[in-house]
Amino acid sequence: MIDDFYRLDPYSLAAAEKNELLLAELTELTGLHAQRCGYYYNFLKSVGYDKTNVNSVEDIPFFPVRMFKEYELMSIDRKDVFKTMVSSGTTGQSVSKIFVDKETAMMQQKTMIKILSNYWGSKRLPMLVIDTPDVIKDRAKFSARGAAIIGLNIVSRDTVYALNDDMSLNMDKLRDFMEKYSGQRFIIFGFTFMVWQHFYHELKKSDTKLDMSEAFLMTGGGWKTLEAQAISREEFKNRFTELCGIRHFLDHYGMVEQTGCIYAECECGHLHASIYSDVIIRSYKDFSPCGIGEKGIIQVVSVLPHSYPGHSLLTEDEGIILGQDDCPCGRKGKYIQILGRIKSAEIRGCSDTYADKFK
Amino acid sequence: MQINSNNMDFLVGDCGTIEKMQETPALRMFSDKAVGFLAALSTAIIRDKRSHEYADITSYAYWIRKASLENVKQKHTDKNERIGRGVAFHIAPSNVPVNFAVSMTSSLLAGNCTLIRVSDKKFPQVDIICDAINELLNGEHSCMKPYLCILRYSHSAEITQQLSSICDIRIIWGGDRTISEIRKASLPPRAIEMTFADRHSLAIINSDEYMNCDADKTAKDFYTDTYYTDQNACSSPRLVVWTGGSVNEAKQRFWSALGKLVKEQYDMKPIQAIDKYTSFCALGMKYGNIKLISDDNYVMRAEVSGLSADLMNYKNSGGYFFEYTASDISEIAPVLTKQCQTISVLGIDKDDIKKLVFDNGVRGVDRIVPLGQTMGLEFIWDGYKMIEAMTRFVYTGSY
Repeated sequence: MIDDFYRLDPYSLAAAEKNELLLAELTELTGLHAQRCGYYYNFLKSVGYDKTNVNSVEDIPFFPVRMFKEYELMSIDRKDVFKTMVSSGTTGQSVSKIFVDKETAMMQQKTMIKILSNYWGSKRLPMLVIDTPDVIKDRAKFSARGAAIIGLNIVSRDTVYALNDDMSLNMDKLRDFMEKYSGQRFIIFGFTFMVWQHFYHELKKSDTKLDMSEAFLMTGGGWKTLEAQAISREEFKNRFTELCGIRHFLDHYGMVEQTGCIYAECECGHLHASIYSDVIIRSYKDFSPCGIGEKGIIQVVSVLPHSYPGHSLLTEDEGIILGQDDCPCGRKGKYIQILGRIKSAEIRGCSDTYADKFK
Repeated sequence: MQINSNNMDFLVGDCGTIEKMQETPALRMFSDKAVGFLAALSTAIIRDKRSHEYADITSYAYWIRKASLENVKQKHTDKNERIGRGVAFHIAPSNVPVNFAVSMTSSLLAGNCTLIRVSDKKFPQVDIICDAINELLNGEHSCMKPYLCILRYSHSAEITQQLSSICDIRIIWGGDRTISEIRKASLPPRAIEMTFADRHSLAIINSDEYMNCDADKTAKDFYTDTYYTDQNACSSPRLVVWTGGSVNEAKQRFWSALGKLVKEQYDMKPIQAIDKYTSFCALGMKYGNIKLISDDNYVMRAEVSGLSADLMNYKNSGGYFFEYTASDISEIAPVLTKQCQTISVLGIDKDDIKKLVFDNGVRGVDRIVPLGQTMGLEFIWDGYKMIEAMTRFVYTGSY
């Protein structure tokens, strides 16, 4: 039961205990989705799933994350869909569609609160969003950016959107916000490249001195764009400390397919799995689990997805488990490094149309 | 018509060559000029040390050597009634480097002025062959200069329309999407078109006969048919059908020999493992009655319990196979759709397959070849007798 999880501190379980708790919940979810989602039932049958052979979390079948782009997958009646979340694909790409009912939505929020309060306390904090208010306007369709913000709204108060619709920094709003909260604890949230492009650069140009020394800068969406500009994570942090005194950084890894279960960055710069989810790194050669320090394909499991069969997913990202139960920050569980999206292959052959393969 | 050469990058010939092509006399089929040029090209390519690094170039050079061309010429018994259609405009694919030369060969032997757009993607093979061509055109074979022009241009509807407007035959490689893109450019009233669409292929193996074959040699043959082109050529088998009475032993022997070879030689990329697994899951989700068989991700097999026309919608490349055991060969009929190109066989009489095709009047199946020979260079492709299809037949009362 999910309530068993809520009673615990989100980073309190060491490997053996965590596996036991997760395994029970994930096995139940596998059964639940098999019962309610015909597609998923067929999938399990095809990969030869047999409950009696499952001894650890690693034995739960992994479902390719791309399936949510190709099929509308849900384990609820369509009338019970409370919201549909979509991934933020670039133009022309197909997007994932995730169907969430009230129950799953509630679990996502609760879990998010549990995880984040572990970092900045249980008090709801004011939040400065480095995005435009536009991003959450269409509530019928949440983008990943929008979804993350909506999720955070639950743990925050007095949300201010710092960007205008044309992505320029709204200095008036920023000044108002800072007048109220200068030197206090608050959240700054945005996607890494937007924070850098539209916040850091603009703020620097404006020559405004702000005290954000107690703020938590929470980022997401990966580092690819910044790496392309040769800005390392270290440099990103140093420059922000220099510019406005930010000391608390909280990057995170997460995906719309497992909203709620984020992998948040600790004081040591490691992304941590909470008790609600876990990461298994798999070798591309045979999908066998990799050991600590070995690079491979990321599989994520989460106990939250009840309305759609997304509790065990093979992603298209690569990563490494840096360690388990022994991070100096004191948090138990695995801590990971994300290496980014797996490169698409240049393959030979007669046809020019590989991109259409899954149409 | 004047040609606007902006944004055209010429590898062989120039804008003037194209303009003059409209007036250049067509050649007869298998003209001495064309045969002589191609035979010399074969020698010139082999002379270039760079060629030896590329198996596709050397097999192309071998294919157009003088003896081979003479042999093909003899087979075309009505060659004296045939002449080139005029200007042939070829759009070569972006993934098979030597394909442009293969298309060019038929076109020149047919007697056409040959105008080829090669892909933007740069391949050393293209440079090597074009260097050899230029050497010949600027030397002993300058008489062929008016007949050949090879160029690159970034996707441009205008240029494609310009070149289409002066052609008498258009040849489009590169698959369905390229075809529909190029077809937006209209053709002159008399012009005809040959298209090479997306296709797929299968292999049929008689298990009893296979047990008498050398396992390693068969594995190598099958590897050449599949992994050598990332299993992504039109002719690469996606489905393996087993017949006969030793299916279990044969499967075991066949796939383990192949698996060994693949692990040694194939550089599988992580995304391919995901792609293959995703394809399998998509098929499994639809049917539920399939089984994943794989020791690792290098060779992934989806065992199916029946064959249906939509099976190939779930195909993938890089070592992903559907597998089916047939008690009678006629069970394959549902997959012989329009998209089905090559059937490669081992221990199966080709005529039995041909009979199946003709008796059922199926829309697919253009080639039936022995396992290991799907990649062979041929003058007959996708149901076309290539050289003949690029000519006109001049009727004088007999044929």
